[in-house]
Amino acid sequence: MFTNTLFLLSAALTVGGALAVVYSQNLMHACIYLLASLFGVSGLYACIGADFLAATQLVVYAGGVVILMLFAIMLTGGSGNKINRYGLEKIAAMGNKKTYFFAGFAGILTSLVLLKIIANILKAQPNTVLSANEPTVAKLGTLLATDHILAFEISSVLLLGALVGAAIISRPRKERND
Amino acid sequence: MISLGSYLAISFALFICGILVMIARKNIIAMLLGIELILNASALNFAAYTKFANNNLDGHIVSLFIIVIAAAEAAVGLGIVIRFFQLRESIHIDDAATLQN
Repeated sequence: MFTNTLFLLSAALTVGGALAVVYSQNLMHACIYLLASLFGVSGLYACIGADFLAATQLVVYAGGVVILMLFAIMLTGGSGNKINRYGLEKIAAMGNKKTYFFAGFAGILTSLVLLKIIANILKAQPNTVLSANEPTVAKLGTLLATDHILAFEISSVLLLGALVGAAIISRPRKERND
Repeated sequence: MISLGSYLAISFALFICGILVMIARKNIIAMLLGIELILNASALNFAAYTKFANNNLDGHIVSLFIIVIAAAEAAVGLGIVIRFFQLRESIHIDDAATLQN
């Protein structure tokens, strides 16, 4: 009962947030709606017993990525960026009728293809007995340190590269006199 | 109610919303928001298949790596966006058409 309620709330939050990201004209509002959607995905993880994934989703996405996005939005002119201090009218550009038309067309096309695939998958799905939800943290730690150690190390190198790369790319402009 | 089909449907909706955002928006940061939605849809699918199809935790591991890669991608992407804004004073995607001045 509790799990079903949590599932319904999380599903509504996820899909509603994603739709609001699509149709919001204010970039700051879109970012906050994305935060709501990510919270919903975290609840969906919790419903299928992925406790560590739910916590990681909250910490990394809600605490890190969305805040980073908000910083970037505010550093590039904020949400009311039609009339910002640069006086540029092109910055707002949250899409116009033409782009929404093409996006709707592409969305319908992708939906048809994906629905065809999903229908086949659901027809062929095995009826396995669902196991009870168990804590996954210890098992995940063991798997990360044994079976998936190579991917783990590569992801650490990737994070180091991203850190150095982001610092180098966004460093202040240096004037060259040559 | 909690079944593979419902999870696939939610993930499908997230993916379509991400595609729509990426195509319809002309703002680079808004397109990055769409990429986050798509990555979340795929991670949700992996976790759902771990629960409903097989019970080893490999899907959770893949979801974790997807989250890690999304964080790295957001950091580098936003660094590029901020640098682009310093150079061009714009975050419109149509202004990003050349590699050098």
